[in-house]
Amino acid sequence: MGKAKMLLNRLQDRIELDSQLTELSRVQPWIEAWADQYGFSEETRFAIHLCVEEALANVVMHGYRNEPGHPIVIRASFSAHNLLFVIEDEAPAFAPVEPTSRGDATPVSVESFEPGGNGIRLLYRFAGSLAYERFADGNRLTIGFPIPTEGVSALI
Amino acid sequence: MTISTESMEGGITRVLLDGRLDIQGAAAIDLKMNVLAGSSKFLLIDLRNVSFLGSMGLRSIIIPAQAVRRREGKVALFGPVPMVEEVLKASNIHEIIPIFHDLDAAVAALS
Repeated sequence: MGKAKMLLNRLQDRIELDSQLTELSRVQPWIEAWADQYGFSEETRFAIHLCVEEALANVVMHGYRNEPGHPIVIRASFSAHNLLFVIEDEAPAFAPVEPTSRGDATPVSVESFEPGGNGIRLLYRFAGSLAYERFADGNRLTIGFPIPTEGVSALI
Repeated sequence: MTISTESMEGGITRVLLDGRLDIQGAAAIDLKMNVLAGSSKFLLIDLRNVSFLGSMGLRSIIIPAQAVRRREGKVALFGPVPMVEEVLKASNIHEIIPIFHDLDAAVAALS
């Protein structure tokens, strides 16, 4: 059995959440465990927490329209020296369009600034990689972060 | 996330935030931030002890700031740690609410 697979087996590789914002706190210690395992820097840990929170919040608030009782699954996996967090839901299609393609302009005043809409912008800014797929009954968002060199040796 | 305030010269209210401004943190401070926005004309939001900032936390800053500005007041952000500042800049907040790392400069901007 490969070392990566052994590590996956030791650490819980998936969490199932209900579609409520209060559930998101369950993910924090899980992310920390993965970050500890591979020696991620504080900056990368921050980025992982930020991206996962923004992605999950989008699913709850926009995908499921704040309606509880719907499933969200977040899995950890590996690909080419990257740690991937894969978030799957059964919500209607919601592709995270990169803000610049929507013609977002730099705000010019506090008064005109839209308080919302920063989640996706932050996802694109802080994720190492981002991939969206729509499948038959839901959405899959894969957020990737390169594993530090020291952590990569743990995979070999 | 905890929130406390102290009064400074010139009618400035210093808002001290401590903890993570994630979804839960934002919910914990929203009410008090909105109360402060309705009662204070000059807000110095001290972010030195904020270890995390997400989009919901950004809303907890922006919405009160908009309320202060409607009342012709001023808002400044003070002392964000590097990753928090990176979130502020990625969201273009720094172009509408100034960020300071020097307290005297922040106070001067609000005076």
